[in-house]
Amino acid sequence: MGNKQTTFTEEQLEAYQDCTFFTRKEILRLHTRYRELAPHLVPLDYTNNPDIKVPMTLIITMPELKENPFRERIVETFSEDGQGNLSFNDFIDMFSALCEASPRELKTIYAFKIYDFNRDNFICKEDLEKTLNKLTKGELTPEEVTLVCDKAIEEADLDGDNKLSFADFENMISKAPDFLSNFHIRI
Amino acid sequence: MTSYRNGGFFNPAYHDTETLEIDRRASSKTHHTNPYDNEDPTWWGDRASNDAAIGRVPQGGWQEESWRGRENIPMDAISIRPRSPPRHHGPNHSISGMDPEYNHSRSIPLPSSSGNMTMRWRGIAMRRMSMFPDADHTQTAFTEDAIWNEMQNEQQNLLEELAALSTRDRIKAIRDLPMSFKEKKHIRKELELQSSRKSRQFTCLADCSEKVSLFSRKCGYHVKSAKQTLELWQGAMKSIGGKFGTSVLTYFVFLKWLLMFNIFSFLVNFGFVTIPLLVYKHTPNISQNVNNVPQNVTFRGLEILTGVGYFNYTVMYYGSYSNETLVGYNMQLAYFFTIAVYMVLCGISLIFSMSVNFKNNYVLADSASNSAWQLLCTWDFSVTNEKAVKQRRNNLCVQLKESLSETAQQERLTVSEKLKHYGIHFGCWLLSTSLAFGCAAGVYFVYEYEIETTNIANWSLLDEAKTLLVPFVVSLINLVIPLFYSLFNKFEHYSTHRKQIYALLIRNVFLKMSILSVLCYYWMKKVPDKGSCWESTVGQSLYRLVLFDFLFLMLGSFFGEFLSNVIGTKLIPRMGVPEFDVARNVLELIYSQTLAWIGIYFSPLLPAMQILKFLILFYLKKVSLTHNCQPPRRSGRAAQMQTIFIFLLFFPFFVGALSIVAYTAWSLTPSEDCGPFRRLSNSFSAVDVWIGNLKNVTGSQWVVEIYNNVIRSEIFYFLITLIILVIIYILWQVTNGRKELIRRLRQQIVNEGKDKSFLLERLQDLQKSLPNKNTKQKKQKGSMKQHSDDHSSGDQSNSNAMVQALLARQELEEEERRYSIGGVPVPSEMSNSSPLMQAMLARQLADQENEDQYPMHDENPSSSSALAQAMAARNRVEDEENNQYDVFNRSSAVTQAMQARRRAEDTDDDMGDLPHPVSNVMMQVMQARQQAQEDDRIQWMTAPPQNPGPSGSSALIQAMLARQEAQNEYDDGY
Repeated sequence: MGNKQTTFTEEQLEAYQDCTFFTRKEILRLHTRYRELAPHLVPLDYTNNPDIKVPMTLIITMPELKENPFRERIVETFSEDGQGNLSFNDFIDMFSALCEASPRELKTIYAFKIYDFNRDNFICKEDLEKTLNKLTKGELTPEEVTLVCDKAIEEADLDGDNKLSFADFENMISKAPDFLSNFHIRI
Repeated sequence: MTSYRNGGFFNPAYHDTETLEIDRRASSKTHHTNPYDNEDPTWWGDRASNDAAIGRVPQGGWQEESWRGRENIPMDAISIRPRSPPRHHGPNHSISGMDPEYNHSRSIPLPSSSGNMTMRWRGIAMRRMSMFPDADHTQTAFTEDAIWNEMQNEQQNLLEELAALSTRDRIKAIRDLPMSFKEKKHIRKELELQSSRKSRQFTCLADCSEKVSLFSRKCGYHVKSAKQTLELWQGAMKSIGGKFGTSVLTYFVFLKWLLMFNIFSFLVNFGFVTIPLLVYKHTPNISQNVNNVPQNVTFRGLEILTGVGYFNYTVMYYGSYSNETLVGYNMQLAYFFTIAVYMVLCGISLIFSMSVNFKNNYVLADSASNSAWQLLCTWDFSVTNEKAVKQRRNNLCVQLKESLSETAQQERLTVSEKLKHYGIHFGCWLLSTSLAFGCAAGVYFVYEYEIETTNIANWSLLDEAKTLLVPFVVSLINLVIPLFYSLFNKFEHYSTHRKQIYALLIRNVFLKMSILSVLCYYWMKKVPDKGSCWESTVGQSLYRLVLFDFLFLMLGSFFGEFLSNVIGTKLIPRMGVPEFDVARNVLELIYSQTLAWIGIYFSPLLPAMQILKFLILFYLKKVSLTHNCQPPRRSGRAAQMQTIFIFLLFFPFFVGALSIVAYTAWSLTPSEDCGPFRRLSNSFSAVDVWIGNLKNVTGSQWVVEIYNNVIRSEIFYFLITLIILVIIYILWQVTNGRKELIRRLRQQIVNEGKDKSFLLERLQDLQKSLPNKNTKQKKQKGSMKQHSDDHSSGDQSNSNAMVQALLARQELEEEERRYSIGGVPVPSEMSNSSPLMQAMLARQLADQENEDQYPMHDENPSSSSALAQAMAARNRVEDEENNQYDVFNRSSAVTQAMQARRRAEDTDDDMGDLPHPVSNVMMQVMQARQQAQEDDRIQWMTAPPQNPGPSGSSALIQAMLARQEAQNEYDDGY
């Protein structure tokens, strides 16, 4: 990699490899992808950890995210400032949590955060309705949406508080083996 | 905690208090491994002074944020301690914040198991989520000593636990932490620092081992990188997954996996069997019984299809292999062991991947929660194609509507309708089973015909062409009949899509099994009596089958996908663009792989053909898929299907192939005059002969002994079987026990939910029963607000709530600590309610006292007398407590804190002539709170000390109440 210009120092790469599920090559590729989003903003040289953030509007133009109905939520969840601006570290975090090697527990935690639109640590009916509207793009009538959400909560809510806590969510995930393969973005 | 938005009748603050409780529960488990337990008193002293710090009102960034616009109020004056520097939640600060105790606590051994660790991390993750709902660490509103301390403490504990792990486990653990990269990096750095400090203390041995582990880690990364580079079809897989979703991708993943099997098999066979033969014997074809290589055998072209003639004289088939020992290389043994080892390895890897799949996908997965599952788990994040996304959307809509109408429909199903459904099912099953039998019979007769009419003595071109009949018929059946089955499936009404797919799968498997069993019957029973070199004959028929299977697979994708696409788009638009039938296609793959497994004995180079076949098939299917198919309408449970496919591959097919090969090797007499096992009674006796030779070699007696006493003894196998049966039985029982446990735990969750709602109701009842007082209180608070509304905004009440929540939290923690020292926590739900009620009463009392203070406060705007009274009352309580709780140094710290606060107040009063209504309100709330706490404590003295139930829940209630109060205030403020 060091033939033209070094993007990361050896130490940085090692830290990335230790803390994420990516190999050195993937990290470099991710950097290239990140840089492609905003070439004028992101330098090639990352050895001095520049504090640069790419805004959400650019991030969601990535083909991997472009068609995802939850793209804004995903980016917001992983951005440190909560506004959707991603530094390179956040960017790496995002794809690391969504990659194939990431374990079920981690994916569950992040999925919960993504679906928790109002960030009250519960997936309440409001969140579910938002999710459903994002998934179907408003093709269901409001009554149907309410019906489906009620049913979903009724099915998955164990403790009867009419909203899904993390425990409920986890329990539901454990019954859905597809979650692992579905909650996965190939980079 | 920022979610005061829907402020209706129901207190939204409850959200957080509940989470607090959950958090506590999660982390209470880990407190036993906490080295801090031993030095709690000092720590708590520290904590108590923190209490005081809170009492003195938040500082730093929070103040700037939430007290904006009221700088003219000298808030700092209350504090006699110098203002500590503003702290942020950035992880960089936690290094500097290491407690002094931290270092001498390190010598305490740390009993940490991985299960415990994950629990802790989850606890932390949950806590984080609850404390920072938006994962926003820079939000200054939370820059609060207590939270900060707590987080730091958590981090210390985490570091401790991580430090106890080996380097590799540690890296893995760090990777799995649900934190941002920055935090992970910080933890990693911290750990490295620690370990380097540690290694300085020890000898260079530790240093060396550290270096070795570092080196191996680097090597591991390089290997991983290299493996990734070698990975086949990454881009193709991504694009397929992006366009058609994970369920279609399953097929391609499966194909790739099988390809890997075949590459391995080819390498092994070629390397250990074929290469030695080719190197030492340049003319493998002498093995044919006639010593002359027939002059008339030339390559005519038809051989490519039939596999006879010229191919007979190449290393393709069994017959060409020598039985000699070539320069010390025993061909017999090589042949036998290569195939045996390959089959065993195949079996092991199948079992392994099957178990991994079962584990990951939870065999117990049931479809109980359908809607929730459809909402939250079915969206395939890997889909990137716009059209596919649109289609998925539509499909999801249709499915949801269906499921809504289904539930309504289910009840309306009459008996006659049910009977009709069952009748159709029965008819379809009967029809498909008889079709399978008919096909098997057809194959039998065709084979019979072929064997009767062909004459081996004078082999004509026509005879050669006749051999193509059987593979043609078999492949045709395999192509056409599944289409019929799919047709049947359309008439049937299954309640779920899953059942439909299972029915289809079972029928297809049955068909393929019956055909294969007829073929195997022929190969095992009829062929050995016929020819001189029967193994090669079997090898040839397998070759033909594999080849024809390939041709028909191509035809199948032409007819099945291309034609129906043309029909669907041009002729009958009603049919629409076809979908890719994953189940049928995967079964075809499984079938062809079974042929290759059976053929491994008769034609060792068959895997080479299989490799070619799969390579071409991959590209063919990919092209056909992208041009002719649409993404599947049903978002099938891909992961589950994959598990089922692997299971199918293992169970009837691999096990069948293995038993055929084993039967051939053990029971059938090899041909007299060709192949490696000629002139032996069976293939296995090659091993016998080898052992017999070993007897004469000194030093290898033990091998002979083992062979005679273990491998050949029935007792050994009998015992092994017995032991395995016992183990299976035990594991089965364990599984049953676990299931029961899961059921009970689930029940417990439900019960706790009920408890919670019951308590909430009681709480509301109690509050309603005191409406007058509440309104009075509210009024007073309102007037207080009016006093100060030029200064204070809603932020203030917010901050009150904050402080109270903090206090509640701290208290909770305190109690937990106390109990974790005091005794083993007994999970008791029963005793919950009465102490709870007591706590509530105490609270109420405190409230009243609180109110009593308010009027007085109205009389004396300076509020000093009221405060003094309150202080006196509190001091009394404290004294009492001092007497009783001397064991815990905490109380003295509390007293100190109180005094400090009092002093602060006094100075405040002295200094400030102008009234500080806001701070007074704050102080009063604090006091009421503290008083409630005291009351609570007094009551606990009577309660049995080793009962964590009441403490947790009462604190919870208090927190709720505090919150509610704050909410009221807040509402009034607006």
